[in-house]
Amino acid sequence: MPSMDDTMLSPLLTITLRTLWICGSALILALLVGVPIGIALGSRQFVSRGLLVSSVNAGMGAPPVVVGLIGSILLARSGPLGELELIYTPYAMILTSTAIALPLVIGLTLAAVGSLDAEWDLQVRTLGIGRRWRIWLLVREIRMGLLAAIIAAMGGILSEVGAVRMVGGNIEGETRVLTTAIMMHTSMGEYEEALGQAAVLVGNMLVLAGLLTWIQQSGRSRG
Amino acid sequence: MSTTPNRVALSAHALLCRRGHGADRFELRVDRLDLHAGEVLVILGPNGAGKSTLLRALAGLDRSVDPRAIRGPQGPTTLVFQRPTALSGSVEGNVRAALLGKGVPEAERRDRVHRALDRFDILPLARHDARTLSGGELRRLALARAFVLEPEVLLLDEPFDDLDAAGQRHLSLDLQEAIRETGVAVAMVTHDLRRALLLADRIAVLSHGELAQHGPRDEVLSHPDTPEIAHTVGMTNVSPGRVVRREEDLSWIEIEAGFEVPTTATLDVGVDAWIGIRPEHLKLDVGRGDGRPIGKAVVESLVSDGLASVVTLRVHDRRFTTHLLSGRGLARRLRPGDPVSLAVQPDQVHARLS
Repeated sequence: MPSMDDTMLSPLLTITLRTLWICGSALILALLVGVPIGIALGSRQFVSRGLLVSSVNAGMGAPPVVVGLIGSILLARSGPLGELELIYTPYAMILTSTAIALPLVIGLTLAAVGSLDAEWDLQVRTLGIGRRWRIWLLVREIRMGLLAAIIAAMGGILSEVGAVRMVGGNIEGETRVLTTAIMMHTSMGEYEEALGQAAVLVGNMLVLAGLLTWIQQSGRSRG
Repeated sequence: MSTTPNRVALSAHALLCRRGHGADRFELRVDRLDLHAGEVLVILGPNGAGKSTLLRALAGLDRSVDPRAIRGPQGPTTLVFQRPTALSGSVEGNVRAALLGKGVPEAERRDRVHRALDRFDILPLARHDARTLSGGELRRLALARAFVLEPEVLLLDEPFDDLDAAGQRHLSLDLQEAIRETGVAVAMVTHDLRRALLLADRIAVLSHGELAQHGPRDEVLSHPDTPEIAHTVGMTNVSPGRVVRREEDLSWIEIEAGFEVPTTATLDVGVDAWIGIRPEHLKLDVGRGDGRPIGKAVVESLVSDGLASVVTLRVHDRRFTTHLLSGRGLARRLRPGDPVSLAVQPDQVHARLS
């Protein structure tokens, strides 16, 4: 994480930037891993495909707190990945957020590929278009579905609190983000601080969701 | 078309396609099928015979096919699907997309795209959203997208499907011209026999997953190997019978008591045979000496599409059909129930042993 001088920035701005950095990293990771998997699952037939698709669907509905629990067990000092010393770091929060967003990204990419004409790939292949360009055309074709995946994943990551609290620990100056801070202030009865942070969180979500929706709508009107 | 078929552009050798499992299992076997440069091969067959499967195999899109079974040309082979898909974006963008990653310089690319759009009369639609095209326009887009590749082999799956009569006529003329100008080898699947015959140099008939007959157009049209192939190639008058006598160079085949049909085919007296007469070769005898009289029939119905009238005739329990030009002569006078005399040219009566 980039070192941020807390003395120069207000605590609210610091945790807002940290929130955006953690969520943004998790979103990018989830897209980098999830979109190719979604495309592969959507456009190929293989033996274990049904099982994988069911797992993705189950993952889309998995309670984040369970993801947090599994993350905590894996990353705990005594756990199988304990040697990485990631527990209670922003990196643990990124990994957990990625795990929460990944099934959403895969599932919505898969649905977007599935909504294409069943012969889409064959029709593009018969034009003699190479694999790389076919993938480029496919991504372009499903871009509306991909935007939906980004919006859903961002919402999932930004609103999640339980799991990131479990692996991050809400350590001031280290792993405190907007959601964990809101939860802490609320439990301490400091509603004013909690409300202020909630307003920033909601404001961020509104701006990002609005931006993505605008891109989506203008893309749709262009066809 | 009129060019003499020469070099083999695409050939299938011991081709085997497998699809589905259990009751849905389907197999297509073709021992040998050659498509020559500059020729149009029309693939006919009843539904489920494997026509589209064969086309996809020839296009190299069927993973169940051993790639060694297909020997393609140096240049591109492309398939235009029965239901073409438009990529999102403009009509022009769709045609340009076919050249992606092919290293075509921009100036040449622009020129080729322009020519392809113009060839199929969709230049005015170049900037339109491809997803808003009508069925006929989409088919023209798909053909433009295929021709921009300057293919050596073009495979067409039901290119006239879903088009109205005017659209079919217009498209078949454009296609005919494009094929003639580019010299592309074409294999086409269609159930529209009339359109197919306008374009075909050779005909291949598929039946139950096998290549039942394959040869020059007129040979297959006039000399089908089986009654089923006869039906597929539009030889509507098929009947079993028995050879009852030979006179001079003719064999006479009795198909009903007292109803005998002469043929130039050499058959022994007493054998079972079947005959086939194309509807255009079955004449209504009006005393002009138009062929040999073969007996009486009763008009059952007349159906006209404005251009031709299809006359259904009854001979005892059998039905025959013939074609008349609509709106003139007999086509205007005949009414259901009228008696008519039938005549044929013996060399236009196809006969084979049963």
